[in-house]
Amino acid sequence: MATKPASPQAARIFARAVRDQRRSLPAWAAATAALGALYASFYPQLADGAMADMMADFPGPLRDAFRLDDLSSAAGYLGSSIFGLLLPLLMVVYAIATGTRAIAGDEEDGLLDVPLAHPVARTRLLGQRFAALATGTAVIAATVFLAMLAVRGAAELESVSVAEFAAQCLNLALLGCCFGALAVGLGGALGRRTPVLAGTAAVAVVTYVFDRFSGQLGADWLRHLSPFHHYLGGEPLRTGFQWADAGILLGASLVPLAAGAARFANRDLGT
Amino acid sequence: MDTVIELDRLTKNYGRRRGLSGLTLDIHRGEVFGFLGPNGAGKSTTIRLLLDLIRPTEGTARVLGLDPHADAVRLHRRVGYLPGDFVVPGRWTAGECLEYLTSLRGGVSRARLTALAGRLDLDLGARIRSLSKGNRQKVGIVQAFAHEPELLILDEPTSGLDPLVQQTFLRMVTEARAAGQTVFMSSHIMSEVERVADRVGIIREGRLVTLDTVAALREHAVRRVRLTFDRPVPAEGFAHLPGVVDASTQGTTLHCRVEGSPDALLKAAARHTVTDLLSEEPDLEELFFTYYEGAENGHEAGLTPGR
Ligand SMILES: Nc1ncnc2c1ncn2[C@@H]1O[C@H](COP(=O)(O)OP(=O)(O)OP(=O)(O)O)[C@@H](O)[C@H]1O
Ligand SMILES: [Mg+2]
Repeated sequence: MATKPASPQAARIFARAVRDQRRSLPAWAAATAALGALYASFYPQLADGAMADMMADFPGPLRDAFRLDDLSSAAGYLGSSIFGLLLPLLMVVYAIATGTRAIAGDEEDGLLDVPLAHPVARTRLLGQRFAALATGTAVIAATVFLAMLAVRGAAELESVSVAEFAAQCLNLALLGCCFGALAVGLGGALGRRTPVLAGTAAVAVVTYVFDRFSGQLGADWLRHLSPFHHYLGGEPLRTGFQWADAGILLGASLVPLAAGAARFANRDLGT
Repeated sequence: MDTVIELDRLTKNYGRRRGLSGLTLDIHRGEVFGFLGPNGAGKSTTIRLLLDLIRPTEGTARVLGLDPHADAVRLHRRVGYLPGDFVVPGRWTAGECLEYLTSLRGGVSRARLTALAGRLDLDLGARIRSLSKGNRQKVGIVQAFAHEPELLILDEPTSGLDPLVQQTFLRMVTEARAAGQTVFMSSHIMSEVERVADRVGIIREGRLVTLDTVAALREHAVRRVRLTFDRPVPAEGFAHLPGVVDASTQGTTLHCRVEGSPDALLKAAARHTVTDLLSEEPDLEELFFTYYEGAENGHEAGLTPGR
């Protein structure tokens, strides 16, 4: 009776989720990359030591926390405010917003009943929406990478190699995946926007603080629990690809995703 | 007979709230089944259980011989579903929405989508958010019918539709049955259901209170009768006949309502000279109200509340 034997193309949900970001994602990626490049291009003015002199007045613990000790090198400068604060912040905001919307937001808006009454397993929907989010983090990180390459010469950042920029941008994407996966997974488990948003944002803030202040707290081991440590702590801008850290970030993405998917597959869908 | 939906003591509690209490019901292949009940009766709960959107607290459901949870994907391939509240992203156009949803099933020809949309007078280029409630409902109807599923599960399909589109929709249901499809549709309105349904179930507070064929319901339904005689007749002669209620006379005219067979009334009337006889279609709506109101309100059978 059916017009065609039903063989739903495997990646429809993914393709749709990517298309649904076709306006917001390029805008976010461009803004993130432009801000990053703008700050990066201030490096020549600050490299002469004026900035470092100013920072010398900062209390020691704060200098440690925000990596302000080596602002005169390109890697030090980029690692403190740009890759240390601005870019991860924008990336994590994207990931949490997109991840929350992927399941919890749509479910609360009643948007999941229709696709899930189609031949689409719940775990597939969750997985493909996460894949679209991961694609988004890759697009943002790639745009940042290209922007950095564009200003690298003019901003006298040549001491950081192209591969080192690539390594840092890969970690940036994986950092986004981590928090995006947490939001998607929590959404799968809870199905409501507010607790997912609040929970994921709280984890982001707390783990950022762990990374920055665990030394001062006398609990250095705390730092290793933080995605931010695995993102920046290995100093990819000086040492290139840190595969162990990248692997840990990837693993930290898959755990909440799998747990959330398992719960999502077996609970009532909210109305 | 081939059973398409098989519910056995299906029960759903939402925390401590009752959603559905022990519904046992069989739907046969090829029939149109009308599922009626007042707000909060448990119609949408039943339907969402059939589609594995929610899980039963107790009891079992089998749909097309499959387990709604374990075989969800296989089952959904063969079912068309219209939710009570059809929500899709407002930024999509109607056409984009339909193409996406049908692509999840492997695709439906563009010609079929355009034909269905044309029939319902739906503009495929319009953005969902710019559509009125009724026009949005049409998108939902098209996506449910598009792949000509074996089983259509429709939750209040006519809500928001204007009378003309309602007619078209009811014709589509009739055609679906002619093509061998089974239709399970919920509604608040008996009159629309009785026109297309073979059987009707009435549910109230999570329990099935009536299950019968439309023909049988009609037999037991109340009909208004007006008899005119050549001279005044006493109302008492008719008031206590079996099945006759609310008999009153006005000059030579007798008004009354008859439940079930009008035989006793006609035999009593035959003792006089009848100059005119008017019998209205049995009103199932009134029967429906009897069940709606339920015994607990102490309403007399057939007493119609204001509509
Ligand atoms: N998610 C939910 N949480 C708590 N209670 C619910 C939920 N969904 C439904 N209910 C309750 O279950 C009962 C049945 O609701 P249901 O939506 O099935 O009714 P319905 O027959 O579809 O009503 P309507 O005609 O208004 O659509 C109601 O009392 C309702 O309050
Ligand atoms: Mg309902």
